[in-house]
Amino acid sequence: MDNIEQLVATLSKDAKAVNPAPRPWLLGLKWLAVAAAYLLVALLITGPRPDWALQLLNPWFVAEVMLLLGILVSTAFSAAILSFPDLHQQRRAAFAPVWIFALFALALILSLYADNPPSPLPVHSFECTLSIFAFSLLPSAGIFYAMRQFASTHLHLSGIVAVLFAFSTGALWLRLHEQTDSIIHLVEWHYLPMIAVAVLGWWLGKVLLKW
Amino acid sequence: MTGYYSSVHFSNSEQVTDSGDNLAALMQRSLNGDAQAYAELLKETARLLRPFLSRRIFASAEVDDVLQEILISIHKARHTYDGQRPYKPWMYAIAKFRLQDHLRAHYADQLRDAEDLSELEEILPDDVTETGFNYESISVEVQKLPEKQATILRLMHHEGCTSKEVAERMGMTESAVKVAAHRAYKVLRERLER
Repeated sequence: MDNIEQLVATLSKDAKAVNPAPRPWLLGLKWLAVAAAYLLVALLITGPRPDWALQLLNPWFVAEVMLLLGILVSTAFSAAILSFPDLHQQRRAAFAPVWIFALFALALILSLYADNPPSPLPVHSFECTLSIFAFSLLPSAGIFYAMRQFASTHLHLSGIVAVLFAFSTGALWLRLHEQTDSIIHLVEWHYLPMIAVAVLGWWLGKVLLKW
Repeated sequence: MTGYYSSVHFSNSEQVTDSGDNLAALMQRSLNGDAQAYAELLKETARLLRPFLSRRIFASAEVDDVLQEILISIHKARHTYDGQRPYKPWMYAIAKFRLQDHLRAHYADQLRDAEDLSELEEILPDDVTETGFNYESISVEVQKLPEKQATILRLMHHEGCTSKEVAERMGMTESAVKVAAHRAYKVLRERLER
């Protein structure tokens, strides 16, 4: 017990005023604003797809983009909640991306049926994965750095959500930039790699978010 | 030491609501730099956590170690608490996280020890392995080791102690125990390979 009393004395001596962390919704909003600015700058530099105005009339394209945006938003807030040891006592909100992902998968399946006759496959393939990967590196570094300022107790899950946040930014950028509408190509080279990279997030979370 | 630790779950007696206590208020004062409130909060936290840990770790020395780790973690993470929500769920989340860390390290340590012993199994002659290899089957060889090394292996593999527990019982450092055990394994391997 002496050791504990000694430790309490030492820690309380170090009890300077501390600014509490912002609430998760504010934190998520901040991260989202940074991601949106990055996306906007990237689109200004690389340019949007030439037929973007026409695509806005395609309900499946709009649904897909809106749900991708939903993944970005939900992972930003989920990452913010997961940064707190007690999930800011909003456990259910931390798992919101799961539902958005389910809706996204459903939208893709329905798009696949609606894509009749099927859109032609583009000549390129893995280049899309590489582009998304390269685009997502900066948001990945940023979100992991930001989350390290807090104290997550769900390291694996936080890692997955952080990676999904970064890669949904990349996927959204490429979907708005590249003129490709083959659902098979999108699933194979845009979205499945995104899920595969989430496995890397499982490990990254444990390594990078340890405190 | 199988069954040495019980699993990490909250019991009904550890309801994670503040139940009218003033821990949240103490934490809020602590965040404003009130050292006395902070000392009170940490003492109260330690008082709450000791039975929680004692029910899960039965070695009292380890309870103290884990409790210290938790208090340090609470100190490091105190900016993630804003005083607007119940304190206990926040505190128990950190306690559970550190306890799991500790248990993981404990079992990893045991696994390493077991692997060292199983390495010996691989180099034993076939007829020995066929009859079933365990600590007892090489205990004669172990007794021929220097007394300290033999005691360490007996404690680790016969009584199921971790290197940390052996260190405490023999008044050695944990790393000294590991080094001694490693040397003992090496000597045994050489003897059994002959």
